[in-house]
Amino acid sequence: MSSTLPRLDTLRIIRKSEPSEPAMPADSRWNGRRRFALALALLWILSGVYIVLPDQQAVETIFGKVVAPRVLPGLHFALPWPIASVTRIKVRQMQRIVIGGSPADSITGRSQPLASQFLTGDQNLIHVRAVVQFSVSSPVDYLYRSQDPAQLVGAAVEAEITRRMAHRPVDAILTTEKTAIQNETLAAAQRTLDVYGAGIALSTVNLESIAAPAEAAEAFRDVASARADSARIANEAEGYANDLLPKARGQARQLLEEAAAYRETKTNEARGDAARFEQVAAEYARASQVTARRLYLETMEQVLPRIRKLIVDQNGNLDLTIIRKGDSTGLKPQ
Amino acid sequence: MEHRRRYIAGAGIAVLACLIGLTFFPVRETEFVLVTEFGRPVRTVTSAGLNAKWPYQSTLYFDRRLRVYNPRPSEFLTRDKKNVVIENYVVWKIANPDRFVQRVGDPTAAEMRLHDIIWSSLSAALGTHDLDSLVGTDAAKVETGGLLDQLTESTDRSAIEQYGIAVVDVRIKRLNLPEQNKQSVYARMRAERERIARQYRAEGEEQALSIRADADRQKEEILSAAYKEAETIKGRGDADSTRIYGQAYSKNPGFYKLLRTLESYKKILDDKTTAIINSDSELLKVLTRGEGAIK
Repeated sequence: MSSTLPRLDTLRIIRKSEPSEPAMPADSRWNGRRRFALALALLWILSGVYIVLPDQQAVETIFGKVVAPRVLPGLHFALPWPIASVTRIKVRQMQRIVIGGSPADSITGRSQPLASQFLTGDQNLIHVRAVVQFSVSSPVDYLYRSQDPAQLVGAAVEAEITRRMAHRPVDAILTTEKTAIQNETLAAAQRTLDVYGAGIALSTVNLESIAAPAEAAEAFRDVASARADSARIANEAEGYANDLLPKARGQARQLLEEAAAYRETKTNEARGDAARFEQVAAEYARASQVTARRLYLETMEQVLPRIRKLIVDQNGNLDLTIIRKGDSTGLKPQ
Repeated sequence: MEHRRRYIAGAGIAVLACLIGLTFFPVRETEFVLVTEFGRPVRTVTSAGLNAKWPYQSTLYFDRRLRVYNPRPSEFLTRDKKNVVIENYVVWKIANPDRFVQRVGDPTAAEMRLHDIIWSSLSAALGTHDLDSLVGTDAAKVETGGLLDQLTESTDRSAIEQYGIAVVDVRIKRLNLPEQNKQSVYARMRAERERIARQYRAEGEEQALSIRADADRQKEEILSAAYKEAETIKGRGDADSTRIYGQAYSKNPGFYKLLRTLESYKKILDDKTTAIINSDSELLKVLTRGEGAIK
């Protein structure tokens, strides 16, 4: 410090001694102050320059009155404080609220019995946890219409879910109607929020978990397994049918083939026999007496050797006991 | 002299600033401002922006935004004497700050008043409705919209008149049954589920039986149809062969008779047969009587 002071003094001395600048100390001081004030004023005005980031929109007010309801991303200028004020919000950012539990529940798998209990049309109690996602559709409305937009969203969506649940049977809610409930709730809650002018666009309502209360969960599970059982039994029967019918068709085919074969055999045999007979008959016609005798004798030759024969005289008597004795003793077929 | 002038100027500026500060006041979009004169409300400023008042007047700010009030769930009795627990939400805002500040004062007090109004109107309204109109599987019957619209309207009317509060909406946020009824509800749910489970299983059984029976029937049909056709084919074969034999044999019936008779002998006479042959028979004649027996 002590080293700089003399230098300053010398500088001042030099300035004062310069001839081009006349000595007007008061005026130059005044000038310096003016410059300083001017700079301050400039700075003050420049403080009105502001940037809206790409995911943001801003609302500009002058003394509390909205003058620019939707300022898009970019570089902008507003009158400096305290005249104007700029509020930026992230419009693209999805906000998330959970109905029937706390946001952590979906991660931890915990459930809050009382908070999530809904009454169904057939007066069953079920536990529902829904996740709602929404974003800002109108920054002005979002900022100035309600004290707590998220609370408004939660209430509107919850009321609609309650209403959808209240006229559906529990089975439908647990199985087929989930999507319908989500869609109807989304549309209806959006209408409600539009009526409130909340400046909010709902993006999804997702029924994250729908479950029977613990007190009856076992019975609900049993219904599910009964449904599976039912399908299984039917499938087994289907399997039985699928096994049975092809076999039956095969059997039928077999019968038909056999019949066709039988027919063919029969006719062919008949034709063969007939042809043989006709040929023999033709020869027979030429020498019927002799042929008849020959055939007779040939037959006798074939027949008689294997049978027991008793030749009796024309007038001879026969003791029939021989036959019985012969039967019981040794005369058996060779 | 110059110093004094400066002081006066400074003081003037300060006084002016004070006056400006006391005269002008900004009003935000979210607010109503009640201008009071020594505590007596004179006028309400509803337009946002810079407003002016006399310096001796003072201002009271009120949040005019929508608020959500969630009364505690309470139990109501429907016309058909059933208990139901209803949780509402009420969307309200301050509409008339003058009246609000005089009759109510602060939001907590306002909510208490609202609770009373809504509770009494709702219990009166539910006294004329059956539980079916709140919960029921008959979608056409369940119509809470009208009831709530009416409720909102009547609540709004009396709230604005009495307290300077606008009730924008009253809705049923949650329906439930009283705690003491729940055990029996769970029991009923279990019984219902058991019935449904039995029904599912029986239906599966039914389906399976019908599938099996149908398959069995089809099998019988297929086989009997095949039998019919097979027998027809065989019959045709038999007929054909009969015709062929007939045609052939009828050309020489005598010979056929002889041949067939001889053929039969071969089959009829087996080794169990005992033939008693007369020595005078055609075959043995020669044996017994000598060669001359044959003519």
